[in-house]
Amino acid sequence: MTRLSLLLGLAALAAGTSARAAELPAEIKQAGALKLTVNSTYAPMEYRDPATSELVGLDIDLAGELAKRLGGLKITWSETPFAELIPSLQTKRADFIISGISDRASRRETADFVDYLVTGPQFFVLAESEAKAAIDLCGKKVGTTRSTSFPVEIEKWSKQNCEAAGKPAIQYVPGENSIDVRNQLKQGRIDAAVQGSETLPYAQALEAGKYRIVGEPFAKGYQGIMFRKDDTALREVVMEKLTAMIADGSYKAILDKWGLGANAVATPLMNAAPQ
Amino acid sequence: MKAAPTVAEGFPDLSGMRLAREPHWFRWLGAALIILVLAAIARAFAGGQIEWSYVGRFLTAKVILEGIVNTMVMAVLAMALGIVLGVVAAIMRLSPNPVLRSVAAGYTWLFRGTPLILQLLLWFNLALVFPTIGIPGLWTARAVDVMTPFLAALLGLGINQGAYTSEVMRAGMLSVDIGQYEAAQAIGMGRLRALWRIILPQAMRVVIPPIGNEFIGLVKATSLASVIQYPEVLHNAENIYYANSRVIELLIVAGFWYLLVVSILTPLQMLLERRFARGTMRLAR
Repeated sequence: MTRLSLLLGLAALAAGTSARAAELPAEIKQAGALKLTVNSTYAPMEYRDPATSELVGLDIDLAGELAKRLGGLKITWSETPFAELIPSLQTKRADFIISGISDRASRRETADFVDYLVTGPQFFVLAESEAKAAIDLCGKKVGTTRSTSFPVEIEKWSKQNCEAAGKPAIQYVPGENSIDVRNQLKQGRIDAAVQGSETLPYAQALEAGKYRIVGEPFAKGYQGIMFRKDDTALREVVMEKLTAMIADGSYKAILDKWGLGANAVATPLMNAAPQ
Repeated sequence: MKAAPTVAEGFPDLSGMRLAREPHWFRWLGAALIILVLAAIARAFAGGQIEWSYVGRFLTAKVILEGIVNTMVMAVLAMALGIVLGVVAAIMRLSPNPVLRSVAAGYTWLFRGTPLILQLLLWFNLALVFPTIGIPGLWTARAVDVMTPFLAALLGLGINQGAYTSEVMRAGMLSVDIGQYEAAQAIGMGRLRALWRIILPQAMRVVIPPIGNEFIGLVKATSLASVIQYPEVLHNAENIYYANSRVIELLIVAGFWYLLVVSILTPLQMLLERRFARGTMRLAR
């Protein structure tokens, strides 16, 4: 499945580059600026620096580099709750969305994804917890942000690994965002939590020694830049620039800066996440 | 004897003339414009990026119905708590004892002075301050087991509501004529008894409209409890659109239920008003 998607992605890429150099839509070129919307509660992907209140993060840096290569465009940032990201794209409040959003089949009904980062849901507990392996979490309370794809992932994992082995299912507890989920963990409201693997190094650095990762990310996925389905021109030109950034190492430099070099993709993929 | 002239000397008699109807051009123009704008809005909604089939399908979905029931349960309980606290605080506020007076004033100050969503988050995260709660020697429990989303929402909404209700109650009590207090005193009633038997029943008439107002506000304020995971109707609608991305459709579903509830509450308030206005029916009409 992934290989097929990879081929499709490469094919799309080839079509984009060989036929003609992709063109930036006239509207954007005229404005000289990209309108981008983020949900800035997801460090280190995008968040407001506590000291300066500037928007910072891996996505912000990537978008900045892309805008530079798209002809020195400025970026007009706006913010919105996570669940409003897709409506922001549909209503054209944003030209595209780069905001730590996972490529998922259900979201592909309304948008196309250019996948640029490997990710996966990751169990973690408080350092003093007794859980040693993910399987120890069967029957326990596990919290995660309810607006993400993680609740479904947890349920699926629990079915395959807990219930199939005759153990009690994981009890999912909803949280509002990653900060709220970690707060629930600290209070003992939940026994373990799930976050995207790309956000955990940052959380661990922030509160050293507080959390312990349990097992590996339990599903493989991608974060993608989200485009309107009919906006192929913009999608192709961004994909082209992203490919160039991977080739010349500037992409890797940005990932390394945020401690996520291991989550790099070899080439941008289109709609490639397995589910 | 001559009949008095109906028209003063020197003025024409206009009594036989027909009144011309004013054309009211601008009134008609305004009405037509408004109808046009409304029609355009309706058309935009009908043709916009809204999949009405989703609205229809989720309008009576089980989780949505459970959500509106939870919304109403929370609103009624929080209002009950709010009224109890409000009455107590209002009585304390009008007490001659300076300690009672200042405690009541401090309560109103604190809970009216901070946003409701902040109070809800504080109650929900109370275990960061008090990991365990209980009665020393008798019973202890982990704070998170006690402070469920339900209780955190009830305390947050109810205590905040009490602060507002106390001011409504105080206004009601102040609206009762001072002679009523004096008369109650003259026949030997104590202060609390006079309040309960004489003053509060008369104050009720005045406080029902603002309390009804507050209750309608509270029904909608329960939606804030979605951030502390209380499964009221907006929380459940959000959960659905987090999964299927039909945001506007589910917001319309939730909006429909809020409107329906408020539409039912309004005539109920009228009935309540009539009951408490029995003594002054002539004025009420």
